[in-house]
Amino acid sequence: MKKFLAVVKREYVQRVRAKMFIVSTVLLPLVMSLFAVVPAIIVNIKTPPMRVAVVDQTGKLYGQLKEALNSDDANQESNANQQSGRRFGRFILQEVNATGQSVEQLRADLNQRLHDRQLEGYLILPPDFLQTGQVEFFNRIPGDLFSQGILRTALNRAVREQRLIEAKVDSKTRQGLFQPVSVQSVKVGDGGAERDSGGSFVLVFGVGFVMYLAILMYGQIVLGAIIEEKETRIAEILFSSVKPFTLMMGKLVGVSLVALTQLAIWGLAFSAFALFGAGVLASQGMPASIPSIPFSHYVYFALFFLLGYFIYATIYALVGSMVTTAQEGGQLAMPIILILVISFYLFLPVSRSPDSSFSFWVSMLPFSAPVAMLVRIVTQTPPVWQIALSLLIGFSTVFVIMWIASRVYRVGMLMYGKRASIPEAWRWARQA
Amino acid sequence: MRENGSGNEITIKLDRVSKSFGEFTAVKELSLTVRAGRVFGLLGPNGAGKTTTIRMIVNITAPDSGTVTLFGRKIDSELQNHIGYLPEERGLYRRMKVVDQLKFFAELKNVRGKEVEAKIDDWLARVKLSEWKNKRSMELSKGMQQKIQFITSVIHDPDLLILDEPFSGLDPINVELLKEIVLDLRRAGKTIIFSTHQMEVAEKICDDICLLNRSEKIFEGSLRDIKSSFGRNSVAIRCEGGDGVLDDPALVSKLVRHSDEAQALLAAGADAQTLLRRLIDAGAMIGKFEMVEPSLNDIFITKVTEAA
Repeated sequence: MKKFLAVVKREYVQRVRAKMFIVSTVLLPLVMSLFAVVPAIIVNIKTPPMRVAVVDQTGKLYGQLKEALNSDDANQESNANQQSGRRFGRFILQEVNATGQSVEQLRADLNQRLHDRQLEGYLILPPDFLQTGQVEFFNRIPGDLFSQGILRTALNRAVREQRLIEAKVDSKTRQGLFQPVSVQSVKVGDGGAERDSGGSFVLVFGVGFVMYLAILMYGQIVLGAIIEEKETRIAEILFSSVKPFTLMMGKLVGVSLVALTQLAIWGLAFSAFALFGAGVLASQGMPASIPSIPFSHYVYFALFFLLGYFIYATIYALVGSMVTTAQEGGQLAMPIILILVISFYLFLPVSRSPDSSFSFWVSMLPFSAPVAMLVRIVTQTPPVWQIALSLLIGFSTVFVIMWIASRVYRVGMLMYGKRASIPEAWRWARQA
Repeated sequence: MRENGSGNEITIKLDRVSKSFGEFTAVKELSLTVRAGRVFGLLGPNGAGKTTTIRMIVNITAPDSGTVTLFGRKIDSELQNHIGYLPEERGLYRRMKVVDQLKFFAELKNVRGKEVEAKIDDWLARVKLSEWKNKRSMELSKGMQQKIQFITSVIHDPDLLILDEPFSGLDPINVELLKEIVLDLRRAGKTIIFSTHQMEVAEKICDDICLLNRSEKIFEGSLRDIKSSFGRNSVAIRCEGGDGVLDDPALVSKLVRHSDEAQALLAAGADAQTLLRRLIDAGAMIGKFEMVEPSLNDIFITKVTEAA
């Protein structure tokens, strides 16, 4: 046990002290916040408003259109467009009096103004526009699909309003007609009605995602750590002091503690950021609340996160025990990612029928259990014995894989650094 | 753990030990005894089974049959703490400081605490690397790294030290330095197993030897005994002319020419007097004609040829 701790300590201290660790720990939150901040800055760059001339041959729509474009009141139906409209698509409309001029004359005149850069575009709403809904937008910058989208939405609204007015629908009824619905998902558990499983679900997704990320990032590091003693030819010295299983377990645990350290640092940074963000939102009158989740769920999240991480990390360790260089390992590790992705997508069928026997079995299989069982827990919490069994199977698998890996590793070393094929590895594991 | 070796106490005993890997037999029915406080040479060409034998002694691999006894006990992982092992395949953690590595290797032998630091300073001074204590091992030259590796095998003050080709790749000055250290350790009562295929080196430091060839033992005993049992049937000769004589297989079974002299191993049934007479008869000018002990190398070659 003391030797095991010595291996863990060396692995942990060496890695945490390394420049790479410090740089990546600091850099990632920075890069992440850049990803969050830079688009916001870019989006907020003020562009000059779009000057659009409108020839309203219907004689009824100009006012409606102007209102639709400039309305700040929350029209939920096109909320997103409205909000970005305030940033991007600021329009300056000017009505062009069409009386007494032919369309050709008007167009020639407006084209001239376009050419002289007095306008960015113009609309000619034909007299039968309310019936046909056909209109042409002439403009200098046809690539600005975003502004055109806003304009289209506004025209839509204007036309719809006008049609309703003509159908003699009063304004109160009109507002009532467009009142959107609101759907609230309510989970019905054993204890009667409970509010909100959406929050838990988002959290499961988050846990799954972090697990996925941790495996992608640290799987390779586990693999490299296992190979380290082969590449530096220290293995034989070590094996005269410590059992291969102890060495490999020590290395796995050491690297994993590094991973947890880094994730914890990031987690704290993220929480601080989120709290700050929530504060900002609250100050703008948009209270953000932490979803209410039973405490037991947090425990399950932690346990299954660890299980998921270790199951896959041990597979990387097994690969590391078979190969002699990190490059070979990288190739052999590809299928692992595939299994990981597949097991991740299983959350779809499981969330649809968490009680089916299919869901039961995938939540028992070690490779799919972490995600599947978490989905079951937040949707329709299975009996505790099932959760315990799933954990037991999972963590036993971790030990069995590590045991096989350590045997393969030892025989591989005795064979003078030969790379093992899978049948060979199996034979080695049995005979060693 | 052991008394200063009287020469009769037994540190290691192998009893009819065999080990094979698939079809290949690495060690076959090997029995040997290593006495305490002596330098035991495990000798043989590459692939003779030396490393496999050592691995069974340090409990890295288990024999298929036979028993290995250390300090009177069957080998187990606790006993590993009393063994220092410097394998032929050896290295260091590249990015780790020298002092941290040595501490780590000591910890793996369950030796930790303050006295380790003092021991590290001691050993670094002994191999003249004190100023490298806080450098990463990747900054050290190959020879320096080898000396650090040597320290990793002795830092926990083992009763049994096993060195597999410890001097390969070292310059003569460092070979001399390590050789002195090994002899010092023997004087301090440690048992040392020294494995090499370089007979000249073994000849200078071993008390007892075991010759292995193709997985089998062909000789075991003290170096003195084997040399005297061979008698002085080797002649160092420096002469001019008389060429054909030395090439006569009836007289000389093996001839090694050095830059200015030759060493002739007498053929069975031939004697030195005859050889000298024949040389003089052939008109050779003799500068030197001296009976010498056979070299370990000669003995080895003779033994292997006999066995074949």
